[in-house]
Amino acid sequence: MARMSDDERRVLRAHMRVPVLTAGALLGLLGVNVALGATLPFAHVWILELMVATAMVVTILWVSMEVRHEPPLVRLFAGIGFFWVGILFAMTLTDYLTR
Amino acid sequence: MSAGAEGAEGVGVALVSHFATVEQQRHAAVLGMWAWLLTELLLFAGLFLTALVLRLLHPEAVQEAARHLKFWIGALNTVVLITSSLTMSGAIQLSRLGWQRGMVRFMLATAALGTLFLAFKGYEYWADYHEHMMPFLGGRPYALESAPASRLFVNLYYVATSLHGLHLTTGIGILLAMTWQASRPGFLARHQNRIEIFGLYWHFIDLIWILAFPILYVVNR
Repeated sequence: MARMSDDERRVLRAHMRVPVLTAGALLGLLGVNVALGATLPFAHVWILELMVATAMVVTILWVSMEVRHEPPLVRLFAGIGFFWVGILFAMTLTDYLTR
Repeated sequence: MSAGAEGAEGVGVALVSHFATVEQQRHAAVLGMWAWLLTELLLFAGLFLTALVLRLLHPEAVQEAARHLKFWIGALNTVVLITSSLTMSGAIQLSRLGWQRGMVRFMLATAALGTLFLAFKGYEYWADYHEHMMPFLGGRPYALESAPASRLFVNLYYVATSLHGLHLTTGIGILLAMTWQASRPGFLARHQNRIEIFGLYWHFIDLIWILAFPILYVVNR
């Protein structure tokens, strides 16, 4: 870092901005989940915990794995994969939750 | 392909004979990695779904078992993996700029953070062993004998976390081999997309842990 010119520093900052903000957002969401898990502030807190985890997964997919910049076919692959997992969870849990 | 992969001097991909263009080669590599990652997703999804079903079928036993999990080490390990994703993203960004030395440093930092995760995980397993929380060890008493259903959850915990650990270990091995290759002159002119493709795998390992931590450690408290 010390040997970098001002221009190089500017380029590095511009390229690292999104990864640093993403990591900050993920750490913030993790903090929420850890606080909820440690304090258990209300009944059925697990619903909120799973929603926070889902937000973290979407952040990694969309920003870190750059699905937003990929061509439509790759987006379709990624979307369908998680869609099938959603069907797997929804149908199985519907069975167990309604017995 | 990901944004910003083209443009910097000395950065590119050598075209292999069975592709018409470099762009087609890049897209095929990304699509192939995604196809494989989705099979991995389905593998882990089955394990996570089983954990949730066990929670519904045996709530008391699963909660009792989950109280023995090292919640704070799990949280710390999540921080470690999120940081490793940041350093991996750094390596990808610098590879696009053609800054080879910085990229190699970021790759080494990523491997070091992955190793730190495994060290914390190993400590967790060691503590579990001393607390008699390994029901699959036949000759050793199990701490929760009074809650037999807890064995199902604890065994599942070991299968899921050791499978994740295996993926991470493989990832560290590949990353170190790639770092050695990437430190040689001319690597980024011929193989920049290898860094991008491996980055997808590393972020996916992070994503799996992001799911494992709440499903195994948090929601069962």
